[in-house]
Amino acid sequence: MTATTARLPAPALGLGARLRNESRVVAELGRRSVRQAFRRPQFLAPIIIFPSLFLAVNTGGAGQAVNLPEFPKVHGFLDFQLAGAMLQSTMLAGVSAAIALALDIEIGFIDRLFAAPIARASFVLGRLAATAVMGAISALWFLSIGLIFGAHIEGGVAGALVVIVLVVLNATAFGTLGAALALKAKSASTAQGVFPLVFVILFVSSAFFPEALLLEPAKTIAEWNPLSLIADGLRDPIISDLSLRPTLEALGGIAIVAGIGSALSVWGLRSRIRNA
Amino acid sequence: MTGIAYDARATWTLMLRGINEIARVPGAAIPGVLAPTIFMCGLTAVFGSLTKLPGFTTDDYINFILPVGFLQGAGFTGAATGVNLARDIELGWFDRLLASPAPRGVLLSGTVLSASLRVLMPITLLMIVGLVLGVSFPGVDGLLLGVFLAACFAAVAACYGVLIAMRFKTQAAAPLMQAGVFMAVLFTTAYAPQDLLTGWLHTVAELNPVTQILEAVRQGFVGDVTWADTWPGLLSLAGLGAVLIGLALRSLRRAGA
Amino acid sequence: MSAIEVRGLERRYSGDVLAVAGIDLEVSEGEIYAFLGPNGAGKTTTVRMLVTLLTPTGGTATVAGFDVVRDAPSVRRSIGVALQEAALDPLMTGRELMHLQATLHGLPGHEADRRGDALLTRVGLADAADRRVGTYSGGMRRRLDLATALVHDPKVLFLDEPTTGLDPVSRIAIWDEVRRLNDDGTTVFLTTQYLEEADQLADRVGIIDEGKMAAEGTPTALKAQIGRSHLEVIIAEGGSTEAEVIMARFGEPMPSKNGVLMVGLLHGASDVAPIVRALDDAGLCVESLNLVQPTLDDVFVEKTGRHLEGADEEQPQLADEPVSA
Repeated sequence: MTATTARLPAPALGLGARLRNESRVVAELGRRSVRQAFRRPQFLAPIIIFPSLFLAVNTGGAGQAVNLPEFPKVHGFLDFQLAGAMLQSTMLAGVSAAIALALDIEIGFIDRLFAAPIARASFVLGRLAATAVMGAISALWFLSIGLIFGAHIEGGVAGALVVIVLVVLNATAFGTLGAALALKAKSASTAQGVFPLVFVILFVSSAFFPEALLLEPAKTIAEWNPLSLIADGLRDPIISDLSLRPTLEALGGIAIVAGIGSALSVWGLRSRIRNA
Repeated sequence: MTGIAYDARATWTLMLRGINEIARVPGAAIPGVLAPTIFMCGLTAVFGSLTKLPGFTTDDYINFILPVGFLQGAGFTGAATGVNLARDIELGWFDRLLASPAPRGVLLSGTVLSASLRVLMPITLLMIVGLVLGVSFPGVDGLLLGVFLAACFAAVAACYGVLIAMRFKTQAAAPLMQAGVFMAVLFTTAYAPQDLLTGWLHTVAELNPVTQILEAVRQGFVGDVTWADTWPGLLSLAGLGAVLIGLALRSLRRAGA
Repeated sequence: MSAIEVRGLERRYSGDVLAVAGIDLEVSEGEIYAFLGPNGAGKTTTVRMLVTLLTPTGGTATVAGFDVVRDAPSVRRSIGVALQEAALDPLMTGRELMHLQATLHGLPGHEADRRGDALLTRVGLADAADRRVGTYSGGMRRRLDLATALVHDPKVLFLDEPTTGLDPVSRIAIWDEVRRLNDDGTTVFLTTQYLEEADQLADRVGIIDEGKMAAEGTPTALKAQIGRSHLEVIIAEGGSTEAEVIMARFGEPMPSKNGVLMVGLLHGASDVAPIVRALDDAGLCVESLNLVQPTLDDVFVEKTGRHLEGADEEQPQLADEPVSA
């Protein structure tokens, strides 16, 4: 063996440089996650394809509901349904992110990240950044196909922007729940088992039908379900002029979801590091 | 062992393996068993008020929507069969079967028969929950007819799953299998009678052969079972079966070409 | 300074499973150290503690001068890691993975690209760089894994069973690369269950069994502890007795077995030629000749009573144990 060349470790960085570094890491991990979604149809399908099919069936199958006496005044049933489709899409995006993260844990990719000099939270933040991007894609997709198939956005451009922002925030909030799920589930197939639960929670909200017309006990549960706040907030700029209260209530619902998800994620991350 | 005895035994063994998937990978099976019941309860809670519309054929939405669960259960089971085959292909296990003396027809029959039996699980759960929630009992004839049609539809859906699995040879094709059965079952009179469907769905449901199968399953739940409402469903099933079994068998025979 | 220093390192799992039972070792800068042991011996657990993926439950360890518990981030900045499962994302291309790894180690964009491309070329993956990792062969994945471990020019490189499951050609390619890295000054800590790998590559070998260090030293010194090499000869019919006498002049006589004559060599392989000449001068026909060197497996057997390779098989009968009926 030849003589050793003295080699120094990379020096510890100042706060500004560390933040810049971590931002770059989060962006790169986010980019990877978005690429994964487009390269694996099983990840993309729940976000775009199935909610679109469900939207089509709901609109065509239950469209006459606009003639029910208590149904709110809308331009068309499709206008009413768009919010539910976007909500469904973002929730399923959270579950897809959970499955992808659980797969990373299963194949040992997470060890690669943990062995690198990055903040532990960066890999979760990267995944959240990707979920936010998928939320934006979802919002743009559903607003576009809605407009193509005859929906009206009563709130105009401002209304559409409010919807997009709410969907992005909602996707991120459900991303935190997805991260918590993956850290606890430890296997992709366990995370996958959560899919039916998404539909249960959606069915007992005002995502697909007005709260007043739901049958009991779904109607009572929907009154307390934070998803109803989010659904109504997403729907308001589409079926009526932009108003503050539904938007604020939607933000409140999103904050509840994000709060629960973040707390569970931190707990999950801590126990994973502790038990390593 | 040769001939019919061999074919029967090989079919039986393959069918048992397909059923054992549930014990080996319960996490994959449970959503498929629960989903139709979740959808039945959920759609009843959400769209139950549609029965107030003039022209709706029943006052109780659960009677209308539960039969959809029969076909959904059959469809999911069929799609799951395709996903399992795709996994077997990826792992190389299917090569072992292809290299065995079992005829291709036996490979197909064992796989699809397991789907026909597995569908009993979601259907049983559907009926138990449905009866608890007050669904009208369809009569023994209505129930047996529904189960028979669902089992046959599961076999047909499984052939579709096999076809997709053999074409793409990867589990990444799972959404294609699931979307296919989703559309087949729900682009029908699933949510409302034909006359109350709107726009494009009105036309598609009229042309979709699965609509006839659904109406045949539904008849006991919303009225009496009659031959006039049964034979179109049987004919549609036979037609779909002939096409998909033929295509699936061809895809197996051409494996490795 | 030591590149790696371990004192009483221990890892206990819940249920009182002691995977690593208090080991001591030291690896000098610029050394290749092979950690040898059967499956389940504690090699991977030890590596995971040294690369800060697992917290020790006892003892201390420093890597590149930094404590693995108290100063884990500094350790991570100093090490490169190629783990047993080759944790690669099958959906990423080789180039994308290199770029990600470089970013994880703080290299800015253009530098990350430059370094990534250079390393892909170095490990012979330039042509496959834009293909998805899922399409790579086992050998290609290991080479990519090795390249990702080098992206930040680490002081200490950890390789966990780098050639397990590879074909001989790929294995030799990895060995060559490890030697090249070491020539450039990188300290290498590798775990292996392959004797030849430890023999070929390592300056020093540590043998671990059931969580404890069984032996440590250079391969030559370890083998010398066990004994000398011996020569096995088969003579054509009629000459065995005379051959035995001749061979005894050159070394330690050993009992023959099944017609195979054996002599312990005092000076190793250099004794072979004189023996062959003497047998030839006596007109004896040598049918077969075999120089048997002690192996690290012999070291392992000596220390643990079991063979290293095929360690799941039953214990061999040792010479001084009574043979059962």
